[in-house]
Amino acid sequence: MGGGRYLSSRSFSIGVVMKKYVIKRVVTALFTLLAITLILFILMQLMPGSPFNDEKLNDTQRAALYAKYGLDKPIIVQFFQYVFNMFRGDLGVSYKISKNTPITQLIASRLPISIGVGFAAVLIGAVVGLLLGLLAAFKKDTFWDTLATIISVIGVSVPSYVFALALSYQFGFKLKWFPMLFSAKDVIGSSVLPSISLSMFTMASIARFTRAEMIEVLGSDYMLLAESKGLSGNKLIFSHALRNALIPIITVLAPLVVDLMTGSLVVEKIFSIPGVGSLLVNAIQSNDYNVVIALSFIYSAMYIGIMLVVDILYGIIDPRIRVAKEGD
Amino acid sequence: MAETAAVLTKEPYVPTDADFKLKGNDKDILVDSNFASQSFWKEVVARFRKKKSAVFGLIFVLVITFFAFVGPSMNSYTYSGQDLAKKNLAPRIPLIEYTGFFDGHENIATTKGTKTVNLYFENKLPDTFYWFGSDNFGRDIWTRTWSGAQVSLIIAVAAAIIDMIIGMSYGLISGYFGGKVDMVMQRILEIANGIPRLVIVTLLLLVFKPGMLTIIVALMLTEWVGMSRIARAEMLKLKEQEFVLASRTLGAGSMHIIFSEVLPNIIGPIITQVMFSIPTAIFTEAFLSFVGLGIPVPRCSLGSLISEGFNSFTTHPYQIIPPIVVMALLMLSFNLVADGLREALDPKLKEM
Amino acid sequence: MSEEKKLREKILDVKNLDITFETTAGKVHAIRGVNIDLYQGETVAIVGESGSGKSVTMRAAMGILAKNAVVNSGEIIYRYRDNVGGIDYNPENDANAQWKEADILKMDKKWIRKHINGRRIAMVFQDPMTSLDPTMTIGKQIMEGMIWHYKIDKKDAYNRAVNLLKEVGIEDAEKRMKQYPHQLSGGMRQRVVIAIALSCNPDLLICDEPTTALDVNIQAKILELIKKVQKERDIAVIYITHDLGVVAKVADYVNVMYAGKIVEVGNINEIFYEPKHPYTWGLLSAMPDLGTDDDRLYTIPGSPPNLLHEKEGDAFAPRNAYALEIDDKLEPPMFQISETHWAATWLLDPRAPKVEMPKELKARIERMKKEAGVNDSKL
Repeated sequence: MGGGRYLSSRSFSIGVVMKKYVIKRVVTALFTLLAITLILFILMQLMPGSPFNDEKLNDTQRAALYAKYGLDKPIIVQFFQYVFNMFRGDLGVSYKISKNTPITQLIASRLPISIGVGFAAVLIGAVVGLLLGLLAAFKKDTFWDTLATIISVIGVSVPSYVFALALSYQFGFKLKWFPMLFSAKDVIGSSVLPSISLSMFTMASIARFTRAEMIEVLGSDYMLLAESKGLSGNKLIFSHALRNALIPIITVLAPLVVDLMTGSLVVEKIFSIPGVGSLLVNAIQSNDYNVVIALSFIYSAMYIGIMLVVDILYGIIDPRIRVAKEGD
Repeated sequence: MAETAAVLTKEPYVPTDADFKLKGNDKDILVDSNFASQSFWKEVVARFRKKKSAVFGLIFVLVITFFAFVGPSMNSYTYSGQDLAKKNLAPRIPLIEYTGFFDGHENIATTKGTKTVNLYFENKLPDTFYWFGSDNFGRDIWTRTWSGAQVSLIIAVAAAIIDMIIGMSYGLISGYFGGKVDMVMQRILEIANGIPRLVIVTLLLLVFKPGMLTIIVALMLTEWVGMSRIARAEMLKLKEQEFVLASRTLGAGSMHIIFSEVLPNIIGPIITQVMFSIPTAIFTEAFLSFVGLGIPVPRCSLGSLISEGFNSFTTHPYQIIPPIVVMALLMLSFNLVADGLREALDPKLKEM
Repeated sequence: MSEEKKLREKILDVKNLDITFETTAGKVHAIRGVNIDLYQGETVAIVGESGSGKSVTMRAAMGILAKNAVVNSGEIIYRYRDNVGGIDYNPENDANAQWKEADILKMDKKWIRKHINGRRIAMVFQDPMTSLDPTMTIGKQIMEGMIWHYKIDKKDAYNRAVNLLKEVGIEDAEKRMKQYPHQLSGGMRQRVVIAIALSCNPDLLICDEPTTALDVNIQAKILELIKKVQKERDIAVIYITHDLGVVAKVADYVNVMYAGKIVEVGNINEIFYEPKHPYTWGLLSAMPDLGTDDDRLYTIPGSPPNLLHEKEGDAFAPRNAYALEIDDKLEPPMFQISETHWAATWLLDPRAPKVEMPKELKARIERMKKEAGVNDSKL
């Protein structure tokens, strides 16, 4: 088949142009992460009651702590020591929530739960949002369009924890279909309500974006040209419309993940999910700065990682980025 | 004219010789009467008014704003006045109570099932009315809801306006100068954008004391990026246009061109973005309150009210409903207004 | 060119077409009784300002009208000989080839897509920057139609696509096949669009402002290319344009369109040398002309009418310096001037005062005639 010819040419062109693109993205990501670490480091120094300037420590304890974290060395060395520790996974110890427990250990059991619920939410949101958006675009100005628009406006406007409260009251408290609180015995069943409440914003945003994007593509000149070639039905939609409409949607996924993180804090609290979100809320409420800062680092790193993946994915999928112009 | 139209449909007009003379309108055809050209903003308003959802949103924004400022003084309670003897009373409104709604009854779940009680009568308070009920400290939820809405609105609008000023200036300058300036400014922006909003806000509120000002600053720090992107994109579109080139040739300074020539032309998209960032700000504030970084007591915001109500939402759901409904309506309305505005300003009507 | 034609076969006959668009602002009466004829192998131009309805007419002929369009009346009769013999079938060589007729407006979308679009009538759009799918290789976009309509295998389609690219003057055809639209210049993209249009052997090519979006030096080349393929393949071409300069270079017949109506129709000489409608006078006067010593550029005063509002009488009257009283009361009918020349203006009524075209234009036409006389041997 002729397909082989295209495949080989594609992998060839990826080589040079993509390399440059990927390198640029990675460097930006690293710089961002470094900038965040610097901010966190400065905050560590400033924060009243951080482990380094706690009044309750006696001199020997303090000296030991200083030696351990290299605080007797010049500040720039300290910073790089800090960066090194962070990247190595040594995030320090909790100070209030669970005294002297390494934060890594605190997080280890919580991270998978949060990621699980978050991933389920993204999945539900993306799939339902896409379908809703496409339905609205293809049936523009009909009942379906109005319905999808109403759902997406509500989804964007109503905060996820309101959904969480409503779902938990209706399906947990009243109907008792799902547990109101998270339980380790029924991870899947007790994740249903939190995942759905978290997914609402993602779903609504993707539905809105997909609709707008698809309507623009359907009205584009190249769709008209494809139609004037005589293409129709599924061929028209699958080989021209969908691809062009869906590529840009990847780009909104990354910012949505951030909103998901924010939402997860509250949703985890409402459903008592032992995840990182509720840990952060606890840490904030009990002034456990060390944990707050460590979690800030983790959140930032995750976000930057996701952005990087999305950017690279976008580059691979969109030929306008993957393949350079003539003479470039 | 009307007569001719009527005639045309039946039998065609029969021209007389007198009709065949030049109108002599070669002088006045230079005046363009075909398009009685409407002003741009008139058209925007007309298009906005055509969109029902946007008008609906605007009405709700106005109504809520009105109550946010007038509502707290509509009864004798204050937002912080406590009365533990009158705690957890269900909503009760004079006159309306005779309909069976808002008469102060509530259903309480017991081990033997639910029973309906009316604490107003059990506690012998026949002349007490809490329109939206009272909370765990005996504070009036009506007053607190509207005063919370007031705080949330002030914070959101202030943050949106400040971030508009910062983001807009940043974007305009970056776009106007282009080249290296743009490159550096965009890299800084990329890094700023790489830090999750959650992290910025959390850290800032840890360092400074929570309060209205801190929250405004935190919101401002997170929202300016989007605004600056829009301003930059608009600037890139406009800066090659004749009127900018003309004023540059005439020797106008960069700042003059940016702020007096270009800015008035991009005010539409900017306002739209402000409208979109207000609900985001309301949401973020509510979130902060929920995790305990919000407005300090005894002041309240919609977020802190929801947070308080959460603790008793299975036993006294009426306590959490007013702030949730007001917030949801507020965010919905702002989103609808912003949507309508965007479409009114930039009608992508490919109708032919 | 047309003398050596044995018999003029009419392939497209637009009769009394009337289309309204239902927009949010109200009903827009965009096409108000349009008649156009087209014969095999000939070139017709439709000229008018933007919004005059020239594109809408041709989209109706392609069956690609927007969803909010309502056809009130009219017919678009398309005559064709079915290419039963596959992609290389040439009815000229087939004694049994039968002429068939179809009214495009009465056929369903599916039938039009299958039998007309691409296969019989193909279209070249205005802006090659936006009319190619940015996420698909050039090769695939050319091969797509052939495979879809004629079910030929990929290898065959590939070879045909390469040959098409060579035919439209693209070098390194094999390399281009693998490239994406953004890697090509505007002129090259328009060549690709033409290659796509030709890929299924149509017998009518509709070019919607094919050179407007291109650089001046490339415009002429693209026009030459279209002329070349038209001659080689003996296909009919309809040009939709606002540029009389383009019309002068390519057309056999010209339809001047204003506010959804054809206001003057004639062969190229009649329209350029003996125009009768004041709107045509305006268009001709507005043509940039290097030969004139007058350095002012003439424009027709005012702007096209808003078709949301129906106007009594002649739609052009408010902009017409030669408007008669009758123009406000009754729409002018088509007055016949010669066998091929018609114009819709009351000035041609015997009762109307004798009105001559503007002096400047007359001088200009004389000059054009002289220049053309020099070039006659070449034509």
